[in-house]
Amino acid sequence: MNLTRRSALALTAAGLLLPSCASGNARAVRVGSKNFTEAIVVGEIYAQGLERAGLSVERAFDLGSVQIAMAALQRGDIDLYPEYTSTGLVDVLHIAPSSNASSNYRIVRDAYAKRYDLVWLDASPLDDAQALATTAAISQKFKLTTLSQCAVLAPQLRLATIAEFLARADGLKGLQKFYGGFQFKSVQTYAMALKYRALLDGADDVALAFTTDAAILGDRLIVLRDDRNFWPPYNIAPVVRRATLAREPKIARVLNALAPSLTTAAARRMNAAVDIDHRDPATVAAEFLKTARA
Amino acid sequence: MSYLTAHPREVAWLFVQHCALVGTALAIAFAIALPLGIFAARSARFATPLYGTLAVIYTIPSLALLAAIVRFFGLGFWPTVIALVAYAQFVLARNVAAGVRGVPYAQTDAARGLGMTSLQRLLRIELPLATPVILGGLRIAVVAMIALATLGGYVNAGGLGVLIFRGLDAQYTAETLAGSIPAALLAIAADLFFRALERRAIGSA
Amino acid sequence: MNARAGATIAFDSLVVTYPGADRAAIDGVSFDVPAGSFTVVLGPSGCGKSTLLRSVNRLVEASTGRVLLDGGDVSGGDAVALRRGIGYVIQAVGLFSHMTVAQNIAVVPGLLDWEQARIDARVDELLSLVGLEPQRYRARYPRALSGGEAQRVGVARAIAAQPRVLLMDEPFGAVDAIVRASLQDETRRIASELRTTILFVTHDVDEALRLADRIVVMRDGRVEQAGTPLELLTAPATPYVASLFGTGTAIAAEASLRDVLAAFSDGAQRLTVRDGDNVGTISFAALRQARGDNDLS
Repeated sequence: MNLTRRSALALTAAGLLLPSCASGNARAVRVGSKNFTEAIVVGEIYAQGLERAGLSVERAFDLGSVQIAMAALQRGDIDLYPEYTSTGLVDVLHIAPSSNASSNYRIVRDAYAKRYDLVWLDASPLDDAQALATTAAISQKFKLTTLSQCAVLAPQLRLATIAEFLARADGLKGLQKFYGGFQFKSVQTYAMALKYRALLDGADDVALAFTTDAAILGDRLIVLRDDRNFWPPYNIAPVVRRATLAREPKIARVLNALAPSLTTAAARRMNAAVDIDHRDPATVAAEFLKTARA
Repeated sequence: MSYLTAHPREVAWLFVQHCALVGTALAIAFAIALPLGIFAARSARFATPLYGTLAVIYTIPSLALLAAIVRFFGLGFWPTVIALVAYAQFVLARNVAAGVRGVPYAQTDAARGLGMTSLQRLLRIELPLATPVILGGLRIAVVAMIALATLGGYVNAGGLGVLIFRGLDAQYTAETLAGSIPAALLAIAADLFFRALERRAIGSA
Repeated sequence: MNARAGATIAFDSLVVTYPGADRAAIDGVSFDVPAGSFTVVLGPSGCGKSTLLRSVNRLVEASTGRVLLDGGDVSGGDAVALRRGIGYVIQAVGLFSHMTVAQNIAVVPGLLDWEQARIDARVDELLSLVGLEPQRYRARYPRALSGGEAQRVGVARAIAAQPRVLLMDEPFGAVDAIVRASLQDETRRIASELRTTILFVTHDVDEALRLADRIVVMRDGRVEQAGTPLELLTAPATPYVASLFGTGTAIAAEASLRDVLAAFSDGAQRLTVRDGDNVGTISFAALRQARGDNDLS
């Protein structure tokens, strides 16, 4: 076999072996996460926290949906991943969440344990909830600071949002049912990345926001207060396979110790570092862990 | 271009993974589509339910299909390949069938009358003459697969999809482009390659 | 040229009904084809003549009755092996478009595992036989051939492995009249050189008279009459046969043009010409064409 054929063969063999390399170390803890900035940062925090405690860790970030993450978790392709309490309630258990953070947590933890044999470790204060945001200028012009006011003023306002918001039960439809009103003058859908652009450029007046979004940092954007507590809290916590915990009880100790430091404000800062400053999520997570320990 | 220059090895590695996903899936998809297409060309009774099934698979939303595949096969490379192979059948099997059925009847009749067995007729007459159409199907399928392989970014299979989705979420345009431009270039290159093969095949038929 | 003698063909109460059809395509046909003869099956579209031909090499299977090749039932044995010993020429020619002329002709010898040298020699021999210069035509592709050239290659391909039977299904129907005439002459010449039994199907009366040793007239899946051209011309068994060949008016070969024209003025389209035991016909159309070509005074 000549050189080119040999190297082609080697490349093919390497390519075929590549995937199986992933399942190389059976004793390593596989940490998964979904594929948006906050999930990756928290995933890194969990992963590095466990590594610092002496465990070997493999990462499987880039999971596309909660269904994919659940399938992987149940099958054992990952051992744990960060999830939001209300996502677990709404998208997996199909239970309507309340506005009480601790009762949400209790319900989702008990249901997962019973139905899936999965354990929810301690939840963090980090609350990545939906919200509506507007510019400081609009807020002043319309005296707009709460959702109740927005419900009434909506016919004069243009909304920038993502398609999912129009489909979810706790999206626009839920708002309309709960608060009444919210008949916006116009509703425009954008890709996730562009909705704030539309707001800042003046093409729209109100935009869908997530409370830990980097763009909210600073004072160009104002988050409208959810004065009647429509939106449930979305607290983050590790969801772990029971078998993995039995094998490595350290996991619970380490991650529970981390939990209280993951606040909404910290998340916003870390999201900004990655999204705006384009810093590496692993580095940002490492810095967080240093300050958290201290 | 700033992301590319800042992370050249990461982008290169993801590019290689993307090519590996597409190349493997194309080979397997073709190996399956060839017999499926030949049976469909021979038997209308087989063809109709086959095409119906493939169309249904094709219209299942990709995330839903992926979640189902992950449930049975887990994360990573091979489950993504399975999804790509499933989606590609819709185009490939039909093109194989169309190519075989498009062979002029006079030639298949002559082949039969001269004393070729069914297999000889298939290998010496029908498949060679169907090659241009089959190559056309491969061309369409490979370009679709290059786009679909971005789904690898949803199931920890690597590939350029990782850059695209992370970049979109982080509103980091340079990262998104570092994923989508190489994918687009790959698609163009694949398209040109198969067109050249088609031209050669038509030339000798 | 062809070492082996042609086979006899016999149809014994053959009935062929296609699935889903309400009447039989062949409805009880029996006749013999002598070894080495040139037998033409003549009839209108839909009379079953192509089906009859295809029942010989089992492209169509008999529903009831038998087809016999040298006395043996063709359905008892491997169809593929049968076909490799039978030449098959079709109207659409069906040359394999991705193969050269030489490769097309070499198909059956290749299937029979001839040595390459023997195949090459045979290809050149056959190209010469059908009137195509080997050097010029060996490496050509079918798309570079005219209709007449293509069908000559088709004939060469069919007889490449020296079959004992040659089936020809309206082979010249798709070429123009001038080319058709020369192909018919070539076929007659080749037939006399080979000893192959030829079964030739056509709807063209002139073609049948030009080529045949024996003619079998078919209509609606049945044989109207089988016999020599002379018999059919002079003693038609049914009104249909009579209508095919003209009213039976015969003139001598030495007749003058005036006599011929007088006979035509009665409204006949075709006259029988007798020259002793030889008989042919002249059609009005052919006469007009000839008159245009020659200086008739």
